[in-house]
Amino acid sequence: MSTAQHGHGLSHDDGAVHAHVSSVPFYIAVFLGLLFLTGMTVGQSYVDLGKANIVLVVVIATMKASLVATFFMHLRWDDKFNVLIFIGSLLFIGVFFAYTLKDTDRRGERDPDQNVHVWEKTGEAAPGGMPKKEHAAPASESGGSALPGAAGMTLPQH
Amino acid sequence: MSREAVTAAHVDSSPPHAGHGAHADAAHHGPVWLAHHFDTPAQQFDTAKIGMWVFLAQELLFFSGLFVAYGVYRSWYPEMFIAASRQLNKEMGATNTVVLLFSSLTVALAVRYSQVGNRKMTGRLILTTIGCACMFLVIKFFEYKHKFEGGLLPGRFYHPHLEHLVHGSPPLPDNTGSFFSIYFMMTGVHGIHVLIGIGVLIWVWIRNNRGEFSKEYFTPVDIVALYWHLVDLVWIYLFPLLYLI
Amino acid sequence: MAAITTSPAHHEEVDPNASYLEASKGIGNWLVTVDHKRIGVMYLIAVTIAFALGGVFALLVRAELFTKGRTIMDADTYNRMFSLHGVVMVFLFIIPSIPAAMGNIILPIQLGTKDVAFPKLNLLSLYVYVFGACFGIYSMINGGVDTGWTFYTPYSSSDPAHGGVGSPSAVLPMTLAAFIMGFSSILTGVNFIATIHKMRAPGLTWRRLTLFTWALYATSIIQVLATPVLAITLLLLTMERFLGLGIFDPRLGGDPVLFQHFFWFYSHPAVYIMIVPAMGVVSEIIATFSRREPVGYMAIAASSLGLALLGFLVWGHHLFVAGMSEYATMVFSALTFLVAIPSGVKIFNWVATLYKGSISLQSPMLWALSFLFLFTIGGLTGLFLGMLAVDVHLHDTYFVVAHFHYVMVGGTVMGFVGGLHYWWPKFTGKLYDEKWARFGWFFVFVGFNVTFLTQFVLGSRGMPRRYYDYLPQFQQLHQISTMGSWVLGFGFLVLGTMFVRSLIGGKPAPRNPWGSAALEWMTPTPPPLYNFVKDPVLTRGQYDYHLATDDELYEGYDDPLFPKRMSKESREAKARS
Repeated sequence: MSTAQHGHGLSHDDGAVHAHVSSVPFYIAVFLGLLFLTGMTVGQSYVDLGKANIVLVVVIATMKASLVATFFMHLRWDDKFNVLIFIGSLLFIGVFFAYTLKDTDRRGERDPDQNVHVWEKTGEAAPGGMPKKEHAAPASESGGSALPGAAGMTLPQH
Repeated sequence: MSREAVTAAHVDSSPPHAGHGAHADAAHHGPVWLAHHFDTPAQQFDTAKIGMWVFLAQELLFFSGLFVAYGVYRSWYPEMFIAASRQLNKEMGATNTVVLLFSSLTVALAVRYSQVGNRKMTGRLILTTIGCACMFLVIKFFEYKHKFEGGLLPGRFYHPHLEHLVHGSPPLPDNTGSFFSIYFMMTGVHGIHVLIGIGVLIWVWIRNNRGEFSKEYFTPVDIVALYWHLVDLVWIYLFPLLYLI
Repeated sequence: MAAITTSPAHHEEVDPNASYLEASKGIGNWLVTVDHKRIGVMYLIAVTIAFALGGVFALLVRAELFTKGRTIMDADTYNRMFSLHGVVMVFLFIIPSIPAAMGNIILPIQLGTKDVAFPKLNLLSLYVYVFGACFGIYSMINGGVDTGWTFYTPYSSSDPAHGGVGSPSAVLPMTLAAFIMGFSSILTGVNFIATIHKMRAPGLTWRRLTLFTWALYATSIIQVLATPVLAITLLLLTMERFLGLGIFDPRLGGDPVLFQHFFWFYSHPAVYIMIVPAMGVVSEIIATFSRREPVGYMAIAASSLGLALLGFLVWGHHLFVAGMSEYATMVFSALTFLVAIPSGVKIFNWVATLYKGSISLQSPMLWALSFLFLFTIGGLTGLFLGMLAVDVHLHDTYFVVAHFHYVMVGGTVMGFVGGLHYWWPKFTGKLYDEKWARFGWFFVFVGFNVTFLTQFVLGSRGMPRRYYDYLPQFQQLHQISTMGSWVLGFGFLVLGTMFVRSLIGGKPAPRNPWGSAALEWMTPTPPPLYNFVKDPVLTRGQYDYHLATDDELYEGYDDPLFPKRMSKESREAKARS
């Protein structure tokens, strides 16, 4: 890590700021690239790709975000530690995302009694709730009829 | 100067380092914009940068909560999300995206002109950025207005009026209020960031007009631009996730 | 290092070489100061008040539990008392205690710099904290909260005023208070990271940082990465209560367990915000009072970072019985055991440092050793709770209460009070009465163990936490625990009196009362405005006792209570052995 070299003014010979200056056409080119990707993502929304849709929009958005971070935010020429901060924070978001979804997406798979969204006072199902799936898929494996996801509509039969 | 040059020194009672005099003699040194506790402009600049990046990391984590909520509900109720997102105005969203991207360009150029010491262009570009930010908020206001008219509101207040809904779109499930909760929280928190961004852009614009920045000292412009890019960055994800799925 | 002198200063309008306490007088100067030491002192006063307040709530809770049924308050008041105890202790005291109060004062001095990287931001963080605390006080005046400090939904989010079925208490101002104080914590973290990276004195390489600095660095990472998630969580909770979002409230199609994920994504790492700085303090004290470089310096430093990172991977162990997916529980349980590794690394290295060290049992050392003893108990019982099957039995019992009090009080408070003893002469320029200090320590140590060891027994026998009433067979243990809390309270009263006496009539402290080799002891006591009379240049590490001169260590050394004096030869011989 390049950061170890910094003491009081020891990082640069003359102690003056030396930042990278990009040219105006370069910035405009990056902007045009961003516009192109925006057009692409809007265009693909008119085509139904099913489950691939969400993957594709996130991939395009990530490309756009990388352009902004790399060139507009100067990460390309910046201290590597600043890059590490940026990437690192994304990793922590990934942990947050993945671990939470690991619960919410697989909740109640092994215990059909879990995960029943009921308003106890009246016994009525909460508004919303997971729409019934035609293919009650994992029922045979888990030995119950519970739906994956927290908001199963299965009401206990009193 | 390398690290070794400093560390591999005498063990006891070395004389004071040259250039590090007593504070009483050198209570202040260098240009006015160099704060008392920094030794060199480079140190001040690097410190500001690292501080800002750490702050931006914090911003990302702040938004991450909303994205996780989005992910969880999107994965639970994909059909509801698709039906609800049809109610959002794709054209307005796309326009806003272009507006924000353009403002990102202008603020990046503002930094560039500040780096070469062109105060006039810096001022103009910052003003353009502020203009774009206001335009974004105006468009957002009209979008919100449509949602209010249609009763497409968060959670408890969700009461859709059929006559205001987009024609030919799939029917909305009962729990669509959850989508609009997430929509309003995400765009609302983002909107607050835009507002704060306008505030800090005005602040650097005033300072730029006062002639406080130069080739040697443009840190505040750079820092504020970084913040503004982050606002753009978040919107780059919000737009497709809310409008285009 | 040796470039630091204690020579008197020349006189100017504001003499930068005068002590920071004397440099400019008047309350107005204090309120607008950007001097990190003054900000730290104001933080210290604020957290001490919060600690006293939280302590009073704790004593009331214990008093109520003295007998079965009603003792001094009704059940509703009791719910509010334990919630306020938790909220005040966590958000107002423990989180800012060591980093924002002591770290603020000591960190820049240990880095050999004049101030933190962003002094104005530092002052802002203090005011944000005070502003948040005002919301908390507003909530208390309006009846406080009865949700517990965790604000679990849907009880906290379903407002009876809007037709909900949840808590009628003043939840909104209290969540806003925690929300606002979170920003104060974030600002401190941003400041410290930038300071440690860019403001180190010449010669102060990463390997020469003190372990306290390393601990603060790890803490700052957590503060920056975890606290914003708390902010957004509490914002969502506020909106849920206010607008009925339907994200956490099951009546509106939300998922209350999702709130627990969000909350613990912050609050578990926050446990390390609380304990890691205390570990840093203990590392300093043990090094100083053993007269040697800590064994496994890099291992201790790395384990601070390890704790910071692992702390983010284990939050799910708070949700084992909340209806979380079984797959997630298994992963979280396995990861939880990993946390024991960096904690163990620290404990073993501290013990190894003591071995063959030249130990002197001054009062700061008593607190550090208490930390070793009590934190080990707290940490090991944490492993019981991380085990899935065992946790089903112990979850939400007094076992959990005892466990985290052994970590939070046995760990963090021991570190905090130990650090206060250790750095008090540097902060104030005054010495305190060592006999009183030992007297107070004895009562705190005994009182603490009597209070909380019994709670391990209570919990393992099935006494649930947060209950107003209990079965007759628990009464005896509850009474022992309550009596322990009186001893504990008395101990803190003794310490409070001792510190006040020191402020009023204490003897002036020498520059280096403990004979430590670290940088903060090389500057005059109390430090001048810009921390050093001359900018320090380090030519040795901060634990290199064999390289330090006799003058650096023992100038002004004449009190028999001070650590034994070691000659330079014996220090060098020790370093070779």
